[in-house]
Amino acid sequence: MSNVVVVLDNGGGLIKAGLGGERDPSTVLPNCLLRPLSSKKWLHPSPTIAASSEDPLDLTSAAVRRPLDRGYLINPDLQRDIWAHLFNSLLHISPSQSSLLLTEPLFALPSIQRATDELVFEDFNFSALYVADSPSLAHIYETSRRHVVSRGAAQCSLVVDCGFSFTHAAPVFQNFTLNYAVKRIDLGGKALTNYLKELVSYRSVNVMDETFLMDDVKEKLCFVSLDVARDLGVARKPGKKNLLRCTYVLPDGVTHTKGFVKDPDQAQRYLSLTDGALTSNLGAKVDMDHIEVTEKPEDRKRIDLTKNEFDLTNERFLVPEMLFHPADLGMNQAGLAECIVRAVNSCHPHLHPILYESIILTGGSTLFPRFAERLEKELRPLVPDDYQVKITTQENPILGVWRGGSLLASSPDFEAMCVTKSEYEELGSARCRRRFFH
Amino acid sequence: MDEDNSSPFRRMSSRTRKVAPRMVAALANSDNRAQAALARLEALENDNAGMETIEINEDDDTSLDDEDQVYMHKRQSKGTKRKTRQAKALENARKAPRTFAELLHEASLETLPSHVPSYLRAAVGPPSSTSRRHFCTVCGYAASYTCVKCGMRFCSCRCQNIHNDTRCLKFVA
Ligand SMILES: [Zn+2]
Ligand SMILES: [Zn+2]
Repeated sequence: MSNVVVVLDNGGGLIKAGLGGERDPSTVLPNCLLRPLSSKKWLHPSPTIAASSEDPLDLTSAAVRRPLDRGYLINPDLQRDIWAHLFNSLLHISPSQSSLLLTEPLFALPSIQRATDELVFEDFNFSALYVADSPSLAHIYETSRRHVVSRGAAQCSLVVDCGFSFTHAAPVFQNFTLNYAVKRIDLGGKALTNYLKELVSYRSVNVMDETFLMDDVKEKLCFVSLDVARDLGVARKPGKKNLLRCTYVLPDGVTHTKGFVKDPDQAQRYLSLTDGALTSNLGAKVDMDHIEVTEKPEDRKRIDLTKNEFDLTNERFLVPEMLFHPADLGMNQAGLAECIVRAVNSCHPHLHPILYESIILTGGSTLFPRFAERLEKELRPLVPDDYQVKITTQENPILGVWRGGSLLASSPDFEAMCVTKSEYEELGSARCRRRFFH
Repeated sequence: MDEDNSSPFRRMSSRTRKVAPRMVAALANSDNRAQAALARLEALENDNAGMETIEINEDDDTSLDDEDQVYMHKRQSKGTKRKTRQAKALENARKAPRTFAELLHEASLETLPSHVPSYLRAAVGPPSSTSRRHFCTVCGYAASYTCVKCGMRFCSCRCQNIHNDTRCLKFVA
């Protein structure tokens, strides 16, 4: 078997790819094709961590096609095209001389697994394949970093993977995800961006076609509220007292093709809203129903169109709020804290205390400021008093899964865990897949 | 796209929004608000929210579907020689990307024994508390009123008027 292992974390939003054994992926690339307004053709996006910061493409109102829907591969032809570009032009590897460690979402349907195997072995001729799920890789990476004295804690974690398409609470035990205990919320970064688009479009400027722009707005300006009622009150205050108001400048297509936050200092002011600062700031506890309306709604609706900018206030925290209370949106699903409790309760009672004290947050949607703080605040009352709750955010929640894959790919056992091309040809997809189950 | 080139961004009001046929049907019957709400949630997973609308309205011949077909043809032309149009159409239909919901339906997971973990069994399920906070769909603040026509929420007369003018029975399709 060859000794090059390509590690490919094939996300619905971003592809993270590189060689096993390295610390970081060499390429991070949106998993889609784009058609900018200026083009009749579908184009490959540029890698997001490319050396040049200037994206050659103006992504204003660009159309998007993605090979994954709800996190799962639905368009193998499109994925083939994107992977071919990735392997040839970005990674410069030859698949027939390489093994592949590929992430696949939990509970992929058999038809989707078959389509994936066909891509890997028949279209690209990889010499061997190992399919991994994200929670176990995040766990592997974190346990390699932890200098834990207690053995139990090193062996299991509760991984919360909040990515592009959905959110999973997944108990991992001895490097394997306990899939009978995994719980899923059907919300991820894509839905959050779309929700933000909807709010901004109805309240100020039509941005329904601006996926990339609104991703940027979300990443730079959204945060998780520690007290929604209080922050709604702050968000409707006039002038300088409104610590939440901030302005985002739209691209004009001439001097700048990307949008930007108008005053980054202003945008950071919400950080002063800690539990202590709030009381002195507002003087008294804010009762949501009796807030004096100090600002007329028209004031915040008045947008200077010649300047092409819009203000955000309560949208900044009402968007990530969905993850904690999907019911507010009309979704009949429990929020993140309850999702975790249900996943833990599906495991053996001996594991419960250990799982609660080793919660790992991974996935790009856990990057919202104060995500972990809020989660702990909601989780604590639901967990028995004598258990500790300890939540760790990955150092890099976007790359953490890939890094775990890289560690696994360079471990001595890796080769034996793979399915080779000849085994695939002899046994077929379904029987080879059984090897990855536990 | 209209040729008002001052900016690619237009105000909501200057633009007619397409209402999805499913949504119209659902809303025609006031009992079906729940269905409309579901369709609205579905839309949160869409790519290209307004894009398809524009292309449909303008009969643009580079719509997504045509592009897909050109793309498919390129893929298939390698290796295969001549094919009858029918065979091609059949193959296109077979190979056309399907949505996850369609693949899920075909997998008939509900026939699996109940102890087998599956996509369906992993769903977190309904929240234990039925209390739902309501935010005004216009301005975001706590909303105590419900629109009798569409079921969306608003907080005040002012927001109700905005709702009636711009949002009521109009959804992003
Ligand atoms: Zn309102
Ligand atoms: Zn209405």
